[in-house]
Amino acid sequence: MSIQSASWRRGLGASTLLLIMSACVGVGYGGSVGYVGGVYEPSGYDYGGWGGAYRVGPPRGGPRGGGEGRHAPSIPSTPRGGGGHGGHTR
Amino acid sequence: MNVVLDRTRIPVRREIFALLACLTCSLAFAAPYELPPIGGSEPAEHHPGKIVWADLATPDLAAAERFYAQLFGWTYQTIHAGNTDYAVALLDGRPVAGLLQKPLPPGERRQPAWLTFIAVRDVDAARRIALGHGAKSVSEPKTYTGRGRQAVLADPEGAVMAMLASSSGDPPDFLAAPGEWIWSSLLARDPAREATFYKAIFGYDVFDLPRDDEAVHVILSTDDYARASVNSLPSSGHRRAHWLNFIRVMNAAESSAKAVSLGGRVLVEPHEDRHGGNIAVIADPAGAPIGLMEWSDTDTKVEPK
Repeated sequence: MSIQSASWRRGLGASTLLLIMSACVGVGYGGSVGYVGGVYEPSGYDYGGWGGAYRVGPPRGGPRGGGEGRHAPSIPSTPRGGGGHGGHTR
Repeated sequence: MNVVLDRTRIPVRREIFALLACLTCSLAFAAPYELPPIGGSEPAEHHPGKIVWADLATPDLAAAERFYAQLFGWTYQTIHAGNTDYAVALLDGRPVAGLLQKPLPPGERRQPAWLTFIAVRDVDAARRIALGHGAKSVSEPKTYTGRGRQAVLADPEGAVMAMLASSSGDPPDFLAAPGEWIWSSLLARDPAREATFYKAIFGYDVFDLPRDDEAVHVILSTDDYARASVNSLPSSGHRRAHWLNFIRVMNAAESSAKAVSLGGRVLVEPHEDRHGGNIAVIADPAGAPIGLMEWSDTDTKVEPK
């Protein structure tokens, strides 16, 4: 074995060790080397198919409160900068 | 003797070079990054059960950025999150969504999708409840500086969603501006069972909407605001449970046509929904479905159908 190849082996070993250490540091930050917020979903599925009956949106809303005949609330109606929070779409 | 010394010096230099290169790469991967806060109110508000964020995983980040910028007027703040490029979409300077560069898994039939984030106070506690009610873990809870702690799960029917405990609080309850998320819908085989599952985790009030067809429609609400709907999947075709998020647009037909001109396609043609405005479902050029919804004060104010 030549001196040169022995040196490269040491270099390779040290580099590998450093890579493993850096991976540990990366995983330790935020639990991951990178951001993992996105996912891929299975493909080949159909969307829609109801025609005009595809109604999945919110209602305009009715009187709030519980009990029999209660109406589902709606989404917020106050625009940003429109003076405070709240307001229900009627 | 001098010859031997010369022969060893060169490899030593190479070792040092290799080590420095390796160190540079490792520091680049491990460099800390910070995500923009999503709260936006002072003091921070918390609205458990509210849909507060959405992330898109896409194999072509640049193409996705162009498409959504031209369709919704989004601008971007690009973050090199470790070994990942993550573009935070902004509308009038406010963070509205995240677009993540991610290679498609080879050999698997997968498609890009928007991931729905639901607000919680405690991710780990909410996750335990979800797992106890039949959910499966997709990714373990993780904390991101600036964002908060989040985890990804699949509900009992396999619809994938995320839960987020935002460190800056949740966005206040205002009417979405055009270009912002206005609504989210879960389509499932058994909406009543799914509603029970989500109620157990997020504490929703559940409202059954009157039906004039075979489909079941349920509204999930917190703080006296509708947060999402759960709806029957059509019985025909090849279906799977999924979450679908809607962006508010001024005209669903015009936005659908523009999406097609930008390389997208229409999955559900524009038509009137129960609130009196039109909705549509499109797919971006990479195939990720996204909803479009009109909502204006001049829409017909009708009671739920």
